[in-house]
Order: sequence, then structure tokens, then C-alpha cells
Amino acid sequence: MILPLPDLPSFDYIRPKSYQQVSELLHQQSEDVRPFMGGTDLFVQMRDQIIAPKILVDVKLLPGMISIEYDHEVGLHLGAAVNLNAIAKHPEVIEYYPLLVEAANSVASYQLRNRATIGGNLCNASPAADMAPSLLILEAKLIAVGLNGERVIPVNEFFRAPGENALERGELLKRIEIKPPPEGWFGKYLKLGRNAEGDLAIAGVAVLGFPDQTAESGYRFRIALSSVAPTPIQALKAEEILNQGPISEESIEAAAITSRDACQPIDDVRASGNYRKAMVEVLIRRGLEEVWSAIQVGG
Amino acid sequence: MAKHIISLTVNGVREYVEVPSNMTLLTLLRERLGLTGTKDGCSAGECGACTVLMNFEPVNACLTLAVEAEDAVILTVEGLPQDGRLDPVQQAIIDHGATQCGFCTPGVILSARALLDRNPSPSEWEIKDALRGNLCRCTGYTRIIRAIQDAAVGGADD
Amino acid sequence: MTEHHEVPSPIGEKVKRVDALDKVTGEAVFADDLKFGSDLLHGRVVRSVHPHALIKGIDSSKALTLPGVKAVVTGEDTTNRIGLYLKDRYTFCRDRVRYVGDPVAGVIATSVEIAETGCDLIDIEYQFLEPVLDPLQGIQERAPLIHPDLGEYPVADFIFPKPGTNISNHFKVRKGDVEAAWSNCEVIIEKSFHVPHIQHAPIEPHVAVAQVDHTGRITLWGSSQSPFAQRNLIAESLGISQRDVRVISPYVGGGFGSKAGVSMEALAVVMAQAVPGHPVKVRLTREEEFFCAFVRQGLVAKIKVGATKDGKLLAMKTEYYWDAGAYTEYGVNITRAAGYSSTGPYEIPNVWCDSYCVYTNHPVGGPMRGFGMPEIHWGIEQVMDMVAEELQMDKVDFRLLNCLRAGSITATGSEMHPTGLTECITQSAQAIQWSTEETASAPHKRRGKGIAIMWKAPAMPPNAGSSAWIRFNEDATISIGIGGQELGQGSHTVATQMAAATLGVPMEWIHISGPIDTEYSPYEWQTVASRLTWSMGNAIVEAAKDARGQILDLVAEHWGEDSQNLDIKEGLVISYRSEQTLPLQNLVVYGLPKADGSGWRGGPIIGHGNFMPTYVTSLDYETGQGERAVVHFTTGCQAVDLEVDTETGQITLLRVASAFDVGKAINPDQVRAQMEGGVVQGASTTLFEHLKLEDGVPVNPSFVDYRIASSVDAPAEIIPIIVEVPQDDGPWGARGIGEHSMVPTAPAIANALADALNLRILDLPLTAEKVFFALQEKGGAT
Repeated sequence: MILPLPDLPSFDYIRPKSYQQVSELLHQQSEDVRPFMGGTDLFVQMRDQIIAPKILVDVKLLPGMISIEYDHEVGLHLGAAVNLNAIAKHPEVIEYYPLLVEAANSVASYQLRNRATIGGNLCNASPAADMAPSLLILEAKLIAVGLNGERVIPVNEFFRAPGENALERGELLKRIEIKPPPEGWFGKYLKLGRNAEGDLAIAGVAVLGFPDQTAESGYRFRIALSSVAPTPIQALKAEEILNQGPISEESIEAAAITSRDACQPIDDVRASGNYRKAMVEVLIRRGLEEVWSAIQVGG
Repeated sequence: MAKHIISLTVNGVREYVEVPSNMTLLTLLRERLGLTGTKDGCSAGECGACTVLMNFEPVNACLTLAVEAEDAVILTVEGLPQDGRLDPVQQAIIDHGATQCGFCTPGVILSARALLDRNPSPSEWEIKDALRGNLCRCTGYTRIIRAIQDAAVGGADD
Repeated sequence: MTEHHEVPSPIGEKVKRVDALDKVTGEAVFADDLKFGSDLLHGRVVRSVHPHALIKGIDSSKALTLPGVKAVVTGEDTTNRIGLYLKDRYTFCRDRVRYVGDPVAGVIATSVEIAETGCDLIDIEYQFLEPVLDPLQGIQERAPLIHPDLGEYPVADFIFPKPGTNISNHFKVRKGDVEAAWSNCEVIIEKSFHVPHIQHAPIEPHVAVAQVDHTGRITLWGSSQSPFAQRNLIAESLGISQRDVRVISPYVGGGFGSKAGVSMEALAVVMAQAVPGHPVKVRLTREEEFFCAFVRQGLVAKIKVGATKDGKLLAMKTEYYWDAGAYTEYGVNITRAAGYSSTGPYEIPNVWCDSYCVYTNHPVGGPMRGFGMPEIHWGIEQVMDMVAEELQMDKVDFRLLNCLRAGSITATGSEMHPTGLTECITQSAQAIQWSTEETASAPHKRRGKGIAIMWKAPAMPPNAGSSAWIRFNEDATISIGIGGQELGQGSHTVATQMAAATLGVPMEWIHISGPIDTEYSPYEWQTVASRLTWSMGNAIVEAAKDARGQILDLVAEHWGEDSQNLDIKEGLVISYRSEQTLPLQNLVVYGLPKADGSGWRGGPIIGHGNFMPTYVTSLDYETGQGERAVVHFTTGCQAVDLEVDTETGQITLLRVASAFDVGKAINPDQVRAQMEGGVVQGASTTLFEHLKLEDGVPVNPSFVDYRIASSVDAPAEIIPIIVEVPQDDGPWGARGIGEHSMVPTAPAIANALADALNLRILDLPLTAEKVFFALQEKGGAT
């Protein structure tokens, strides 16, 4: 039947003792075992009978999974099970990475964000993942842990296809590492939903800019998008236009159009592909204008 | 399916319960502990009727496992009045006529309580933003927002 | 008159809701909160996955062997058809499925999970039939017949099905000579509008628990707007007496029509019959709400309107094709209401209307807040705007020129009663500074103002009745029995106010008996049609007068006075002549001792009252004409001030003024609350809501993808305005407001959008995407 189950189907809930134990479980019974953090997507998928895990491993209980650490030298380390409100409330995230705060606050509702985790948002590999564009332009590194220890996956290699990520059998996303922010930077996450706030993105756009003498324009921009391609993507060609400069109304428009053309959005129940493309152009232009005016003043 | 014996504090009362793995906190509260003030409107974390405070923060009880509430402090609408006095948010909802059918009301009140606890004088926008996970089909939200503004002021006086 | 202090009447005062304390503490009991103990069994339903098919066989044998499964029921377990106006369905399908979600079998088990697993084990063999997925397809001569037996269905005498077609009702209006009138029109506008299916989305899903005892008597607990109608329809469908069906309904967590009549409740009853003695609970999931509860019918409306050079409306021709879905609990009467209201609140001498209720293989259309009026006004009020535009008339002036007033002749040839529509128009226009041009907040935004008016009558059988009783306790506190349901609209509070005012006691003494229980509560037709304040209110006033009369007669006899000189004030019987007083305490139950010690007089006081309109006439089948089509019309107006983002198409509502003639606001604060809630529900249906059906399958059956307005979507400012032109037979002059407040919202927004962008969108909803592409097509904003 097309209708979801009335209740959660049966499974066993396990509190793991170590990362090693999780990796072993995930390795041995990869079809039947699922790491469990907030459950906000997992439970919905289970009721929809998209997946039917027999064991949920509550990995948020493992050491480091809900820690947030910031250091001026190293940057920001987020445990994979850190919930989105914890990110949005953290004083150093607010100070140094306001872009992440914007992205986190754009998700669903306050109570859901108390459960929804950054790791879950990434691992679901939804094209609409709200945290993904910001992490892409912040060049985050994802730390996976498996039977053979830890492995670094650059975030731009993490999303493979809708619902498919780069974790291998037995691997668990443990931590997200983000470099210290570049000097003088400003970022913006703009999201368009069907109603004013809290919807899944019809289109999501993250824009980052900062002064950089190695760029021809003297500024470096980064742009990433959600909900407009099979995975969250970067708009590298558009970035290049701006990095070459000069930054002007025309180059911003060109970057917006180039970003739009880089999208391969689908028609779905939320919006048509054509609308998504059109909105990418609008959002990128708005984001770039805002970022440009901020970094000029700030720089 | 494994069962778990957990202890938790609900509205100030220590409870020991045996729960199956797939039991939600919502089912535990409503069907085991008889606390039916918490409502099930969508079972998917979208409507907010099941909002309760878990360790002082609002969560959708329909998306939280009972077993996760081990050692947690849970507050439901039934636990809000203190010494026989309604919480200022409850009183303000009455005073402003900000409940109609009442099905969303317990969840709204708990979201509002948590908001005022973390931000005693929220702006109108902050109130709207904090409530966006509590769908109400009756009131149009305007009275709820005014009631919370009022409770914020009244709460400061307390 | 002797000196006595005036007791303020609670009528028209700001009085707090009597149910608010229950609701803020979680004490308010809803149907899902009832506890039934360990005998409780759970029912789940196997539903059709096809929009249209014959059932060739059902194999339940595997399900029956599953441990925990107690029984399986199918259409074989149902005998008579069920339905409110047209008995067109079996509780479980017998030979044919007609929509995706149609109940085919029910599994009763010891847990929800086992029942659900049992459902998966039932094999159903179908023979597919071509579906009807559009009302315009459905009326074609060669369209597949969804109800080949339509001619055999029992039907109410004011509904006219056409056997051999998919038309379950055809309502006609023929007034004047429309065709001749066109040539006298300076301006003629003809447009086609589309209104998609939407869903009521009350936050409380449907739930029903049924129990059948070993003598066959049935008790049904549910979330219901219509306990008495459910009792009647279920008894009829089972071929048993109404005496043997008891419906108990506590607070309803939002209805908006979706919990009116019988929808899923009968499923629980049929399942309970298979396991006598056990209560059986059926609860719809949110997703099932979208598939299997009522939806608001879709509508294709073709509207043609003509006006003279000086702006007077001369002729109007409408064709309404209702996408009624697979069955028509209320749809046939929505079709009728749309017909007799087809002109909107305008006086037009020449009127032609054909309103067709068309079966389709879509979810079952039911009543939703406004009962057809939001749907038809969507087109009417845009066409009227276009006529005014064409004539270069101000849209407010145009409406003031043509709208109904007392004595106007309506589409059905009936005389309009006194109404404050013109006041509603001027006041709401004024509230948003209609004539002031506003500046948009950014260069890529445009500001616009729009207005729309409405009328709506309670659409119900001509003799829908109400009753009430009033009973005293020893301490003179009072229990009131009503059969009207508190859905959130505030009827318990209004009932309390009316009883207190009539009896002369403080409101705090009064308690509304609950839950509504057909075994003990007095008869109420249904809690629909915004009729309680008016109809039930009249019954309460009668009951209170009855009780009061009994008390005054008793005390008059006791004092040796004329009861004409006696009154009750704040719970004291007083004599204006002798200035004696007597508290109500005790005498209302124990009576009074005779002065000479020879015994007692009186006895427990119980007052009763009823109300039923007796004056509604039938309408001619060929012309729709009649002396009095309905009991009354509530009229009103909304004015919208909005801003639209030309780059994204997003609409932001800045101000919505909402003015309605409620006759008399018994509780002005609650009237305003209805207007505020109506504006936001109306705005939500205008901007976001669309139950998308692909080959009959709802593809967005969740709050994730069926967005309803949340707190962040509410307009920045809602200005509710109360207009009071009394209703001659309303209590204190009151008439209804609950549904009306969302009727004009959609066209008012569309008219404001037209003002902002100079473009018209004729299909709901006005999503940002739709606005964006409409603007692109037009070549951008000017």
C-alpha cells in the first residue's frame, strides 16, 4: 500500500560501547543495522517502509559525537550528532560561522532541530540538505570512522546521488571539521520554500566571499546550491567569474546566470525544475549582492 | 524485540517503566503514563501537537524513542501549573481567547514556555519563529502570539 | 419599577471561553484520549490502491491465521447502503472500488501492528476499470459509469440525481431571460475558473471506537460534528433502531466539516460487530486523513456576467461542475447551495445557473468550511472585479451599487432580509485605506489592494432542528444539555452566555454537560452550517425561559403574587411589587414548603426548549425559484493589502480587514477570533493548499508536502470588524459567522494581486511559482 505504517515497525535499540563495536555491527549486518541519532528522517523512512532496519545503534551516545569545539588555529569541530539548535546557539559558531547558524535555523521547526543532527542532515544525502551548501563552501572535512580507523572525506566528495553518500560498509560519520574562517569573510544562506519558513528547500543557495590577494578580482567567492541537482553542488564556474573579476553588477548577474545553468533540477511535488532554475538565479544574485556589500565594507 | 527498563522523571515524578525499543516517548506518555494532554497529530514531527520538554528543551515526542528518555526530565502540559497556579503562558492563552479546538494548545504552550525560558522578552518575530513547528488550524495564530507577548511581560513581573 | 440593581447581561460582553481552562491544562478529553482497558481491539483497513476497479475476490485466509487477528470484515458484512442525502456507498466496498483509499476489508487484532500486518496478508483480486479523473470528463455521455445503480439509491427529496450518468445532483436556476439580456450589456466578462481539492487538515485526526454488546446495541465514541446524524445514518444502514445506537463524542480537535456526517466511523462499527463485547478502535494516520477522510471538492466554474454602461449588473450565467469524488455525503447539497447562491451577494435580474455534482474516481468530497461558497466566490468575485475594471469603475463603488440590500430579489426569486453588507464593504475598505496608493518596500516588489464580498446561508434540510434542556442542582448551579458540539468555534461559551442571560444567573453557575451523548443529550441535527448560535441558541433560550417560568410560577404561588411581577436577578427571585427576595438554592430541586405546613409545592426544575425553522419553501426543480430558499444569509467583505515579490512570485499579506454582519455578536471577542482564524485558513488555502492527485492518488499526503499556514505565514495585521443588523429569528438577533470568515479571502487576495501586477490567475492556489510564471508570461511587472 502507498500509505505509511501507523507506528514504528519493530527493531532493537542498542547503546554502543565503542566506535569499534559500531563499525563491526555496521560491517557485519549492513542491511539490518542503522546508526541512529535524531531519528527525524530515519523514523519517517521507516514508517514509509523505505528502509526496515532490525537494529538501531544510538551512536550519539559515543564520546565526541555531540561535542562542539572551536579553536582559532584548528577551526570548528562538530560531532556528527550535534543537533542543529546546538550549532545555532553556540557562541563561537555565532561569532565565527554565522552562515551555519542561518542554515541550521532554516530547517523545519525549533523542536525538530533539537533532534535533527548535522550528521543526519549530511548522511541522508538529500539533494535538499540545508547544511550541505554551507559546508561545501566552507570546505568542510568529514571524518568517517570504520574498522580501519578514521578517514577524511572532503565534503565535496561526500554526496554521490540522492540518498547515497561516500561512506563505505562499516563506516560511521563521526565528525565535521571546518577550517578557521578566512579573514574578512561574509556568508549568506538563502532558501526558498513554499511558505515563509521551515519548508524543505525549493532552492537553497549559500554564498561566501572574502578578500583574497591571490584572486584576480582581489576577492574570492564560493557558491553552493541545494535542491537543484541530484546532490548538493558547487557552482564552480560562477565562482570563477567572480574570482577573475571585476566584481560588478554585470559579473554578479553573469555568475547568477551561470549558476542557474549549472543546475539540473527535477520537477517534483514541491516545484518545477524551471522554477527552481529561475529561483537559483534570483537567490544567487541576492546573496552575492549582500555578500559583496558586506565584504567591501568589512574589508 | 528487546525491551528496556528505564527510569525517567515526568512532571517531577520518578517513573520506572519497561518499554519496547520501538515505543515512542509519545506512546509512553499517553498510553503508559496516562498523560493524554500530549497529542498525536501527525506522527511525523510536522504538526507539533506532541511537543514536550525533554531536559528543558522542546522535542517532538512522536519522533523520540521512549528508551532515549532514560534519566531524562520530561515536562508535559500536565506538569506546568506550580502550586495550583497556572503557568503565565497558560493563563495568557485563556485571557486572550487563544485556544479554539484546543488540540494544538498543549504543544503550543510548551513551545512558548521553552521560548520564554531561553529568551524572556522575545520579539514578535522570535515568537512566530519559535512557534512555526506548532500548527494551529483554528486561531490564525494572532491571539497566540499576543498571549505569549503578554506572558513574557507578566512573567517578568513574577 | 421598584429599585433593584441592574445585573449586567453577558450578551455582547467580552466573556472568556468556558472551555479554555480544560484546554490549556490538557484536561480536555478528545476521543483518542478515552481509555478502554485491556478488552480494546484495534482495527486497520485494507484500502483500494486503484481509483476504479471491480473486486473479483478477497482472500482473508492468511490474515485470519495470524496470531492476534480476531476477525476480518469485508463488504459481505454490510447490507444496506449509507449516506446523508443520497445513500450511495457501502461501509466496506461490496463489488467495486471507486477511489484510491476506498475501504475493502477491515482487520481486527489485539494491536495496531498486528492489524496492520494482517492487512498486508489479505489478497484482493481486481479487474481494472477506466477511471473518471475530471468532472468535465465525467459528464460526457460515454464516460465510464461510477455508480451504475444510481437510480436505486434512496435520496432526499430536494436532490436530483440523473441515473445512467455520473451526475448525482443537478440544480438549476432560471430567472428572467439571460440570453435576451446580453445584448443590453455594455460589458460582458466570461471566464473559467478552477478550484483544486484541498483538505481540512484539523490537527486532530479522525478516531472512532465502537462496541457492540451481545444484544446488538452499539456504542460509538468518536470525534464528531454530527453525533445524532451518525446515530441515524448508522442505524439505518444496519437496519436497526436509532434507540440501539449510542454515539458519544467529547471535544473535537478541529472539524471544518471533515468530521461531519459519517466518514470513517461506520468502519469501526462494522468491525466491532465481528467481535461482540470488545471495543474496536480505528484511528486514521495523518496520511490516511489526506487519502480517506473528506476532501473539499474540486470545482470547474464557468462564469459569464454582463453589466450596463452605468455599472448595473444585468445578467449572469454560471455552470458549476463539482468534482465530487467517489461518493457524495454532502456534495449533492453543496451543489444545490452553489446553485441558489450562484450570483454571489448581488442583485441581478437575469440569472441562469447549472450546478452539477459529478462523480469522479477521486477522494470523497465532503463539506468544508464555507460549503461551496469559497469555491464559487473565487470566480464570482474576480469576474465582478473584471467587470468593474472594464467599466473603469472603482471596485468598491461597483459592489456598493450592485450588492444585495434588504428587499433585493435573490437568484431564487426570494426577498433578501435586512443585511449590513454595504456597511461591511465600506468599513473594510476604509480599514485598509482603500483609496490610498501605497509604496512597495523594495524596487522588486509591488503593492496591491483588493476586495471581495460574500454571502452564505446555512445549507441544510429545511427542517433541521435543535433542542436543549436546563437542569438545576441543589445549590442552583445549572447543567445545560445540548447536542451541539464544541469544535473550537466557542459554542459552549455562547450557550452558557445565553442561558445565563435568560435565566438571570451568573455564568459561573452554568456547566455544559458533556461529552455529547445521544443517550442523554438533546437532539441536534449537526454541528455544521454555522447554525448553532442561531438555531441551538434559540432552543437554549426556550429551555431557559421554560425553566424560569416554572420557577417564577412556583415562587409566585408561594408568595401569593402574580408571576408577572417577579424576576430572577443574579440567582435571586425578586418581586418588583413586594420587594421580597428568595435565593434559587434548594427551591429549584426541593420545591417550597406551604406556609400552613400542609405540605410542599414544586419539584426539581427542568426546562426544555426546541427550535426548528418552519418557513423554508421548496424550490421549483426547473427554475430554482421559490419564496424562501433558506433561513437567512450572513454577508460580509474582506479587503486585502499585500505585497508581491516580482522576482520570486511570493505574496506577503500585510493587512486583511474582515467585516461580517453577524446580526448580533453574542460574544464579540469570539466573533473576532473566528474572523482572524478564517482569514488565516483562507489565506493558507489561497497561497499554499492543493491536494495533488495523480491518476487519483494523492501525491502530497503529509504536512511536509501539503503545507498549511504556520505562525510565520499569518498576515502582519488582521482587522476584524463586526457589523450588526439583527436577524429577525435569531437569539438577540444573532446569526452565524464560523464558516463565512474564509469565504472571500481567496478572491480578495487574487483581486489585490491583480491590482499589484495587472494580471489574473484563475486557478487556485496562488503559489509563488504560479505567480512567477504568470508574470513571466505577461512580460514582467510594470
